[in-house]
Amino acid sequence: MYIIIIGCGRLGSTLAAELADAGYNVAVIDNDSKKLDALGSGFNGLRVKGIVYDNSALKEANISRATCVVAVTPDDNLNITASLIAKNIFKVRRVIARINDPSKKDVYKVLDIETINPTELISYIIKSKIEGDPK
Amino acid sequence: MKSIIIGGGKIGFNLLKTLKDRGYNVTLVEIDEEVCRKIAEDVDTDVICGDGTNLDVLNDAGIRNADIIAAVTGKDEENLVICQIAKKGFNIGKSIARINNPKNVPMFKALGVDQTVCSTEVIADLIEYEFDSDICKIVQTFDRGAMILVEVTVKEGNRWINQYVKDLPLPSECVIASVMRGENAIFARGDTQIQNGDNIHIITNRATFHEIKKQLHNGGTQYAKQKK
Repeated sequence: MYIIIIGCGRLGSTLAAELADAGYNVAVIDNDSKKLDALGSGFNGLRVKGIVYDNSALKEANISRATCVVAVTPDDNLNITASLIAKNIFKVRRVIARINDPSKKDVYKVLDIETINPTELISYIIKSKIEGDPK
Repeated sequence: MKSIIIGGGKIGFNLLKTLKDRGYNVTLVEIDEEVCRKIAEDVDTDVICGDGTNLDVLNDAGIRNADIIAAVTGKDEENLVICQIAKKGFNIGKSIARINNPKNVPMFKALGVDQTVCSTEVIADLIEYEFDSDICKIVQTFDRGAMILVEVTVKEGNRWINQYVKDLPLPSECVIASVMRGENAIFARGDTQIQNGDNIHIITNRATFHEIKKQLHNGGTQYAKQKK
């Protein structure tokens, strides 16, 4: 299974390292080469520096071979654009995007993009932790 | 006709003024408060301060009743998302996106954005056209500029190719003096046919020279289209 991760911030780099350790083929795209370097020498996946939705960057990352694309940049519009390209132009089977601003949830929905919503998840976890505390 | 412009930069602002002058009902969406305030002071129209990729903001701008949406922010991904929302979420008949990076043009087209305008490409083409002075240059001036000798180099794509001199749509104040074809000088008559690679010498004045230049390029944009 070949996975492309778009965005190499805290979430992207953690995910990349974990998936690579778990034995998946991984490529990471980011426009900041420092962030790609920060993955360290232990990371054996592909690193591509470029505009994350740019045709040449996606092709360099071998997007036509990808089974899954994950868009996790901190910019919702970048995530949406990259997801639409992966899904509708390169016909990637599974595309998952990260929602940054919870009020943008509906935009992802209208455009039929599968999402994870970290803000919602974290607040749910915190809430259940508090509720789980003995009173 | 109701239209929405997203992005209040130079392009958005001038588009707003043009559409307003033509009597359109225009709403402008801009994210920067300061910019919003300046525009609202200057132009009497609805200005909404907010993120144009947010559904609530677009609803406030009246996207449900809009006929045209123009996304002219400086970020390509933003313009794409706006046009996609307009099309898939609200079924807007016409959406126009400004593209800043020419590399993104095919991607926008593939994702089904109706109309795209690549500002960078248009400007680059116009500049290239100005630089293309070798197509049409002044060789000699007579009588302090009252009469000039102009050389037109005929290249691929020139609409004069294969036309007869008598059929050329030339302004009245000019005369074709000669056509240089390789080493040969041809003293052109009405039945001389223009060929690719010809150098045409035309006697004219400055005003007509500009007219001829314009005719050969048709304002640069036409020229840019021909090139593709």
